[in-house]
Formats: sequence, structure tokens, C-alpha cells
Amino acid sequence: MNILASLQPQLCDKFETQAFDLKRDDLAQVIVEKKIWRAVMDYLKEEAGFVTLLTITCTDWIEEERFELNYIFAHETKRCDLMLSFSIARDGESVQTLTDRWPQAEVMERDLHEMFGIVFEGHPNLASFALENWHHTPPLRREFDTLAFVNEHFEFRKGREENVDVKAEAKRLRALKKAKAQAEAEAKKEKGADDADE
Amino acid sequence: MQTNKTINETIKIFHGPQHPGITGNMSVELDLAGETIQRAKTHVGYLHRGFEKLVERRTVIQAFTIVCRICVPEPDINEQNFAAAVEDLAGIEISERAAAIRTMVLEMARIGALMLWMGGQASSVGLDIVPQWCIADRDLILDLFEELTGGRVYHMYIFPGGVRRELPEGFLEKLSNLCDHLEKRMERYDKIFFENATFQKRAIGVGIVDKNEVIPNGYSGQVLRGCGFKHDVRKDTPYLLYDRLDFEIPVRNEGDVYARALVRREEIRQSIGLLRQLVLIIPDTTGEIMQKIPKHRKFKLPKKETWVKLESGRGEMGYYMAGDGSEKIRRMQVRGPSLIHAYALLERLLVGSELADVAMIMNSLGICPPEIER
Repeated sequence: MNILASLQPQLCDKFETQAFDLKRDDLAQVIVEKKIWRAVMDYLKEEAGFVTLLTITCTDWIEEERFELNYIFAHETKRCDLMLSFSIARDGESVQTLTDRWPQAEVMERDLHEMFGIVFEGHPNLASFALENWHHTPPLRREFDTLAFVNEHFEFRKGREENVDVKAEAKRLRALKKAKAQAEAEAKKEKGADDADE
Repeated sequence: MQTNKTINETIKIFHGPQHPGITGNMSVELDLAGETIQRAKTHVGYLHRGFEKLVERRTVIQAFTIVCRICVPEPDINEQNFAAAVEDLAGIEISERAAAIRTMVLEMARIGALMLWMGGQASSVGLDIVPQWCIADRDLILDLFEELTGGRVYHMYIFPGGVRRELPEGFLEKLSNLCDHLEKRMERYDKIFFENATFQKRAIGVGIVDKNEVIPNGYSGQVLRGCGFKHDVRKDTPYLLYDRLDFEIPVRNEGDVYARALVRREEIRQSIGLLRQLVLIIPDTTGEIMQKIPKHRKFKLPKKETWVKLESGRGEMGYYMAGDGSEKIRRMQVRGPSLIHAYALLERLLVGSELADVAMIMNSLGICPPEIER
């Protein structure tokens, strides 16, 4: 029997899950409340065989004022994956770290801390990951506007002095072409009239 | 005098980001006692282009043009993952023919990526003729890509809904000839590289991965198979046409640099075999190469989340994607094998090894920095 289909009744009996969404044969999503996520995760790891932490993702639902955290686990047989999801407030809510269970969580949590500003309690070192000396809004939050940031911090290059305005130049060329065509048409017309006179 | 002694016990040097022995733009901070590494720390941030943020501001089709840039040696895996995630969210089913052509493209890209790896691995031990051969042979694959897609490096061919063009006339014949050529070349590569005494002396017994860590820490690809675990996403959760194709998962038990190299050598052979099967299968496949998809501005993804993954030339590559009912993608996260290999694995493997082996160990893990800082 499918691992995920058989897991569903066990997990839903044992814990108060908000939803168990069987997305495909090899993927399911479990949505829980934040207070029980550690217990569910322990159960998944110790008893259900989801021993590998593949990644941690975060989605910013700014209109609902929440972050959704997704912990994606792989089964020991590698035949299916499970997403464990729960929501936290966008500001001021911290999450317990997973570095005590999986060493790879260290870098994933650093990444999320830098990109979303989520604090992971008990993390050994939430130092910067890919950005350097970043004091602005964490960049993957929805309120961070890339274009506004660029306009504020950088200047657009003016380009060479002999550069022409592309739009104006195209307009001028079109007008020139039109005038030329018109002149040609008129010349032809006149010529035609002359031929007829002769 | 005592203080001077403690200061001189270790020397800190940076291996990269400008270093011929580093794969891409990243650096490893090393504390050395003599030639032996006491502590290693990975640093990234030299290549951060913000793909995940760029995608949020664009429509599905605009975002598609960005994703292939996440990996230069093997861009098609990103296109396939992106397309698979979008199709999963939007409920699009691709035809058998499109799936077969996609499988062919992915296998061609895999051989290309493994050829590049071979070049890098050989030059990290000082065998400088091998990279020149590899680049020349990879170019033959790129020629075929150019004929098929119009692009040599970035193809933008695997599109949500199918593939963008039908195969040109005589393409499969050319592919079959290329397979013959590569098979012959592999014998020469065995002699000059895999059976080379220099490489064997340097690589055997170096960079041994602890087998107990492999599964829980999520190592994948050749690291996993080099430690004796018979896992491959193509077999475990088959996608596209892989469940109809016949291939083996090569496995070695030693867990060192040489074992990973031999696994890769066998994978090139298996991929050539897969291409030969596809040459026979593709003419009989049916269906439109491209399904009807909504127009650019009307291509909206429902409020759902998904996770897709595939086997790249370096390991397991996954995409998480969430739609929000609009024409833009709410969130896309790229999870490449390199993130874990460059941190959780490399930092441990380097401790106790020699400075001269750093480049070789890095290459054998197949680390690709653009995947780490998306």
C-alpha cells in the first residue's frame, strides 16, 4: 500500500491536523498548528520513517499577515515526500531551530533568517548568508520593493553624450521615410501627367 | 615567545572566490596547520542574483526565461522542474511525445554536464589534456542543442505545456551517430583518466563520506551512490518517460573521490544507452508537442502549493512553488543538491585533509554555487 495513504489515518488519529492533502502518489502536505509541529515532526522522523530533511521554505502571505513555513521531508525509501506546514505571525514570532536534529538545517535557517527576518531559537549562529552588511528590510518579504530600492540606492547611467533618444530618433526617421515616400509618389504622379500630355 | 608560538600554529587562507581550483564563485576559508586543514568554512555571496525575488514580480512566462540561468552546465533541469511545477499547479497534462523529447533533452544535458565535470576533476589533479578533450566532445552535444533549440548553452525549450519545437529532420540519426562517437571516446577517457595512475593515487581513499550521515543529511546524486545506496529519482519516483526505459543505477561502496568518479563514468554510459532507446521510441510516440495554454496575461496559477524534483547530473534537484490565484508566482524556491553538499558535507570532509586535495574534493561533490544563492 502507498506509504502516504497509510500514514494519513495514523497521523490524523494521533494529532489534531488541520488538513492532510494527498497531492500526488509521492507527495502529501500536512498542515498543523504551530504548537504541535515539533511533536508531529518527531513522530514523522522516529516512527513514520521520514528521516531526511530536504529543505525549509517560507511563503509570505502578506494579506493574511502570516508566513507559512514548509518543512519538506523525504521518506527513507525515497519513494515519497511530505510537506509539514504551519503558519507564524509575520512579525515577532520565532521558531525553534532544527539544527539539533539535522546539520543541514543550519544553513537553511540562516537563509530564511536573512531573506525573511525569521528568528530561529537555539540556532548556533544566525550570521549573514549570501548578503553582506544588509541593514534594509529582508529582501524576500513582500513589502520589499526591488524597483524602489534600486531607484533609491543606485543611479542609472546616463550613457554616452552622443547617445540619441531612441524614441525621438525613431519618430524622426519615420517622418523622414514618410516624406520621402510622399515626394516619390508626387514625382511619379507628375511624371505620369507629363507622359499623358506628350 | 609562547604567544608567538600560538599565533603561528595555524594559518588562515581563503581558497577562492578567484581560484582555478574552485567550482564557480565561492570561497572556502581554511585554517591550516602545515598542510593539514583544521577547520573549513564555506562562504557564498559572490554570485547572488536574486532569482527567487525576480520571479515574484513577473508573470509565469516571463519567469520562465529566468530559471534556466540558475545553472550554466545543465540548464534544462531547471526548465523541466519549473515546467513540471507550473503544470502540476495549473493542471496541464503533457503528451507522450513531448515527454519523450523532454527526456531526450535531459539526458543530453546530463552527458554534457558530466563531461564538464570530468574536465574539472581531471584538471584538479593536473591532467590537463582531459579538459580539452571533454570540452571538444561536449561541443558536439551543444551543436545538436543548437540545431534543436537555437541556443547552445541556454535552450529555453522545455516550456510549461510541452516543448517548443518539433525535432528537425534527421535529428535522431545525428543523435545516434553522436552516441556511437561518445561510446568510442569513453574507452579513450578510461585510458587517459579513469585508469590513470596519477588520478588513482590521488583519489583513492580521499574524501570518504560517512555512510551513516548520507540518508538523514539528504546527500544525493553520486555522493549517495558512491556510498553504496541504490537510489536515483528517475527510478524511485519516475517522471516523464523514465518508467518505460531500461537502465541501471551504478553503485560503489567505497565512498571516496574515486568511487564517485567511477559512478559518474558509468552514468555517462547509462545515459548513452537511454538516448539510444529514445532514438527508437520517439518516432512512435504520439500527441501534440505543445498543449493549449492560456495567453500570457491570462496564465493564472491557483492558490496551491507543490514540490517537484528530478535527478540532475549532480543529485536531487527540487522546486517548491506556490500560486496565489494571480498571473504571478507567489513563491518559488530552488533546492539544489549543492546547498547541502557545500555546507553540511564539504565543511566536514575537508577537516583533516590536505590543502592540495581541496579542489579535487570540491569537484567530486559537484558543487555549483548559483544553486546555493538563488
